[in-house]
Amino acid sequence: MRPWRRTRPRPAADCHEVARVLQAFLDHEVDDLSGARVARHLELCRRCGMEAAVYTEIKASLAGRGMPVDPETLRQLRLFSQQLAASGADPGDGVPPGA
Amino acid sequence: MSQPLSADDRRKEAFERHVVPELDVLLRVATAMTRRLVDAEDLVQDTLLRAYGGIDRFDGASPRAWLLTIMRNAEVNRTRRRRPGLLADPDDAARVAADGGRPEDLVVGETFDAVVADALDRLPTRFRDVVQLVDLEGLTYAEAAAALAIPVGTVMSRLHRARGRIRARLSAAGLVARKGET
Repeated sequence: MRPWRRTRPRPAADCHEVARVLQAFLDHEVDDLSGARVARHLELCRRCGMEAAVYTEIKASLAGRGMPVDPETLRQLRLFSQQLAASGADPGDGVPPGA
Repeated sequence: MSQPLSADDRRKEAFERHVVPELDVLLRVATAMTRRLVDAEDLVQDTLLRAYGGIDRFDGASPRAWLLTIMRNAEVNRTRRRRPGLLADPDDAARVAADGGRPEDLVVGETFDAVVADALDRLPTRFRDVVQLVDLEGLTYAEAAAALAIPVGTVMSRLHRARGRIRARLSAAGLVARKGET
């Protein structure tokens, strides 16, 4: 019986691979295996780690520019939806309720 | 014993289950597409009408992607009515490839956010659209692809190039190291 099991470390990606998938990695659009490989590389490689930090900051800046939804417009659209669903009109007629 | 639902009731139930929860996202994306609130509201209403008309044929899978596809088609038709021919070729890869990077203007004394905002405004529309949908509105690649009627791979490549241009402007402003200098 072995007292412990040695787990094989997950190999890190190389710089070329990271450059190719970095944006998708930051957007959480890569699979778990690839994500782990990229994350491991970013811990080890200063240059790629700095690139990831720059793009993370760019993404955060862009996210802060998202316009809030206008509550009155959203309320009007909810009302429109309710009227549409309640109208029971022929769905193919393309005529908005109340028009 | 409950009565079976009528066709109208089934349609209404499906509409409220699949479409109404997405109103917030639809308005956000429509605002990003049209850049005017009044146009965005019209576009969402048009999308809702089309969705209601097609709800009987919708299988219930990925309602957001289904609605974004409808919205994109509605927007193409609206734009054609206003400006015929403008969207005749919405995904011209040759133009994307030929666009290249223009010389970056030197930006001095600006904040990080201001440079990012300026760089975003300067992006070609096809690049700015994917950034707005993914970074500002939080759509997945698949959802953005549905909204823009382009392949997911094109979303990825446009994002890559768009963010690269933003990064280049930040470098020109001295706000981040140039690529490879770290």
